[in-house]
Amino acid sequence: MSRKQISFTFIMIIIGLMIAIQFKAVKEPIVRDTRDTWQLREDLQKEKDLELKLLREIRSNEEKIVQYETERKHSKEKILRDTLDELKMEAGLSEVTGDGIIITITPVYEKLLLGHAITSVTPDLIKRLLNEINRYGAQYVSIAGHRVINTTVIREINDETKIDGYPLSQLPLEVKVIAENNKAAELLYKRMQVSKSAEDFFIDNLRIEVMRPDEQITIPAYEDTIRILHMKPVKPKNGGDS
Amino acid sequence: MWLPVLGLIIGLFFGFMTDIKIPEEYSNYLSIAVLAALDTLFGGIRAHLQDIYDEKVFVSGFFFNIILAAGLAFLGVHLGVDLYLAAVFAFGVRLFQNIAVIRRILLSKWTSKREKIEKIDI
Repeated sequence: MSRKQISFTFIMIIIGLMIAIQFKAVKEPIVRDTRDTWQLREDLQKEKDLELKLLREIRSNEEKIVQYETERKHSKEKILRDTLDELKMEAGLSEVTGDGIIITITPVYEKLLLGHAITSVTPDLIKRLLNEINRYGAQYVSIAGHRVINTTVIREINDETKIDGYPLSQLPLEVKVIAENNKAAELLYKRMQVSKSAEDFFIDNLRIEVMRPDEQITIPAYEDTIRILHMKPVKPKNGGDS
Repeated sequence: MWLPVLGLIIGLFFGFMTDIKIPEEYSNYLSIAVLAALDTLFGGIRAHLQDIYDEKVFVSGFFFNIILAAGLAFLGVHLGVDLYLAAVFAFGVRLFQNIAVIRRILLSKWTSKREKIEKIDI
């Protein structure tokens, strides 16, 4: 075996490799098309049917996508609405029904007979009462049909006690209080029965009666628009992160 | 004599069995390279038959021709001129010439052999 043969063999291996690779690269389908017109037409029909089917599938899938999208949108909207309702509830813009107590403020008629003048309820007394019932677990409060919210003002204007601008001079006054649940309402009722407020009211010739109705009581929504003077929405930073 | 043929078969076998694939756009270069390789191969066979075979010339010519042909094709693609046609033409012509020479040599060898046999017979 000479060197000549070895180099020839080596070169031959390389050539074979190259030819094989080139063959594979250039290989084209050598199957001849021998179909006649009718066969071609049939095949075309088949392909068209397939195309139609695929198109239908695509359309149904797209419809599904659209459906999902709308569903998602709706769900987002629903969440927003729920949040809005929740916030409205917290802010006092919606009617609330629940377990609670009704406190009635009446003048002491016996004192009237003795010649004492009819006095109206002073704002201090009502504030005191509100503080007390808030301390005892009240959640929603209305005084004489006016909802008490965070920004409610109770003050004396022209010798007349007013709540958010509505007079409270008409006695008896009805204070409705809703607690978190039945148990809390029961607790509130018991505490109010032994409350010091009764004595404070009695000094002003007023009497408070605490009632615990069996049925649920309803507190109306805040009627006026809440005016926000000193609050501004936080401007979101760039990129939407707030 | 049979070893180079065996080499060719081995090369083909490996080429087809392994999954080496070259991209479509490079198949031009490979075809030129194959042509150059074949040209060198037949040149080598002719030189062997004429007894002027030089191993260094053969092996270096093989690789150099391949690289030159591929380079020429590459240059042609980038210049926008079909330069690889020049390589195809040159190699093709030389291939035919070489094969013609090989045929003649083999033919003359064969005829001289027959004459010898006839002389012996007589």
